[in-house]
Amino acid sequence: MATISVTSEVTASVWKIEKKAGDPVAQDEIIMILESMKMEIPVMAPEAGTLSAVLVSEGESVEEEQELCKVET
Amino acid sequence: MSDETQTMDERIADLRAREEKARAMGGRERLARRDAAGVLNARSRIDTFLDPDTFVETGLLGVSSVVPEDRATTPADGKVAGFGKVAGRRVGVVSNDFTVKGASSSLTNMKKIGHVKRVATERGFPLVFFGESSGARMPDNRGARGMGTLLGNDPQQYVRHRETPWASAVLGQCFGSSAWYSCLADFTVMRKGAVFAVASPALVSLAIGQKVEPEELGGWKLHAETTGLVDRVTDTDEEALAEIRRFLSFMPSNSAEAPPRADVPAGSEDRAGRITNILPDNRRRSYDVRKIVDCLVDTESFFEFKPRFGRTLVTGLARIDGRVVGILANNPMMKAGAMDVAGCEKATRFLVMCDSFNIPLVLLVDTPGFVIGIDGEKAKAPGKIMNFMTALQMCTVPKLAVIMRKSYGQAYLNMGGGRNSDDVVAWPSAEVSFMDPTYAVEVVTWGKDASAAEKEAIRDRMEQENSAYGLAEIFAVQAVIRPQETRRYLATQLEIHEMRPSGGKGKRLLAAWPTTY
Repeated sequence: MATISVTSEVTASVWKIEKKAGDPVAQDEIIMILESMKMEIPVMAPEAGTLSAVLVSEGESVEEEQELCKVET
Repeated sequence: MSDETQTMDERIADLRAREEKARAMGGRERLARRDAAGVLNARSRIDTFLDPDTFVETGLLGVSSVVPEDRATTPADGKVAGFGKVAGRRVGVVSNDFTVKGASSSLTNMKKIGHVKRVATERGFPLVFFGESSGARMPDNRGARGMGTLLGNDPQQYVRHRETPWASAVLGQCFGSSAWYSCLADFTVMRKGAVFAVASPALVSLAIGQKVEPEELGGWKLHAETTGLVDRVTDTDEEALAEIRRFLSFMPSNSAEAPPRADVPAGSEDRAGRITNILPDNRRRSYDVRKIVDCLVDTESFFEFKPRFGRTLVTGLARIDGRVVGILANNPMMKAGAMDVAGCEKATRFLVMCDSFNIPLVLLVDTPGFVIGIDGEKAKAPGKIMNFMTALQMCTVPKLAVIMRKSYGQAYLNMGGGRNSDDVVAWPSAEVSFMDPTYAVEVVTWGKDASAAEKEAIRDRMEQENSAYGLAEIFAVQAVIRPQETRRYLATQLEIHEMRPSGGKGKRLLAAWPTTY
């Protein structure tokens, strides 16, 4: 069991959160979608597991390297 | 006792003693300290880096020729140099010995470096530097006479015609020549904890009257993310040396040769079909272009340059069908794929390197244009765009472009549009025009009080006009291809565009271009 910290690769705003804490996620499954410069940037599960925490909310601005959520494998 | 009574055996014994003293570097204590810190020394770096038993040292018995008292304390004059092999191919190597006067530069060691440089350049093989030096040695370089004697004697010292590949590892404090060579090299790798700057934190703190932290002045993060002076970063010396070996595996030994071809690893054809799962149907959805690169290139062959700098573009070496290529790809993950100043700088340097070493270019296009705004203009965006454009137009290696999705405005040209590549194709998802419809719609309806429905209709019409078939019909692309066919297509075009009359060598018009942009 390991906890993976999923961080943002870009400065953006959180547009849509598709999953909630406790949901199972497959590798590369979309957890949330960020928006920047009119583009949708999907944030995907790096590995299969359970989404253990969602640390941001829709509409929030996020910075590069900011932690978005945690996935437990 | 007069010399005539010494036997050859005695002389040889004396020679052995001198050699051992020279190989002992700065002494057991200093070497032990480095060992305890997990840092290699000048000679263990060479041993780790080169093929076993291939090192032929030059200048082992050199010592300080400036300060008589220093002769006893400057084994190999603080820099170990010579020739060896990497994967069976000849290289020259200069390894700084920080345990000897901080590997500072002085007359004897500068002559040594000059020698290895000249031989590598004239005889056509790569040169590798292991950087860790405190800079110019004192008192040797002090005063007008010191300066006049030691410096400026080689008017070509900092000129690169890129006759052979240069690689540099920043493995400790790099001020002075270690820093300069790291800038001049074609590939620079840095170990975390090392420092790469014009002058030391101590000196800078003195000069500005405030304490300066080494990491802030010249640490790995600064260079990987802000300056872009370093291509890759590692945690250990050993990893840094392995990165240089990997870099060299893509390069010809010299610029009169084509890059070496390799076997195609198993499974290289397996990922070509996955592209359609990665490229979103929704044009607003971004993706990491490196996932597409992995589908196109031979298994695990992608070696990215500057992954954390200029991230709107991805640059790196790879192989397709065993042939070395330089990949230049827009990354929609960053700023929607719009190219910023750092991206242009990264692209320019990469084009210069590939073209100078006969490496064909593959451009993967998905960009709404260049980033616009005040920050970019302050950073000389138009000039950077032109450096990139001029470099591309001057490249004489084969240039193959694939318009995957968006290609707008000047960026269409910078990414190989029209005659800026030898062969350009588009995917059915390609869109080409002067401006992205999102903005173009606003421009054409400016001040006209258009309704949302009218704007929608204009946008639809624009999207139709922007399709790849518009290019295909007038032969502005050579073909429209399926994404799944792209790997095969590129492999075939690489063979078609082999530079046969010159034995794989381009005209190298960028060979004397600058090393930093």
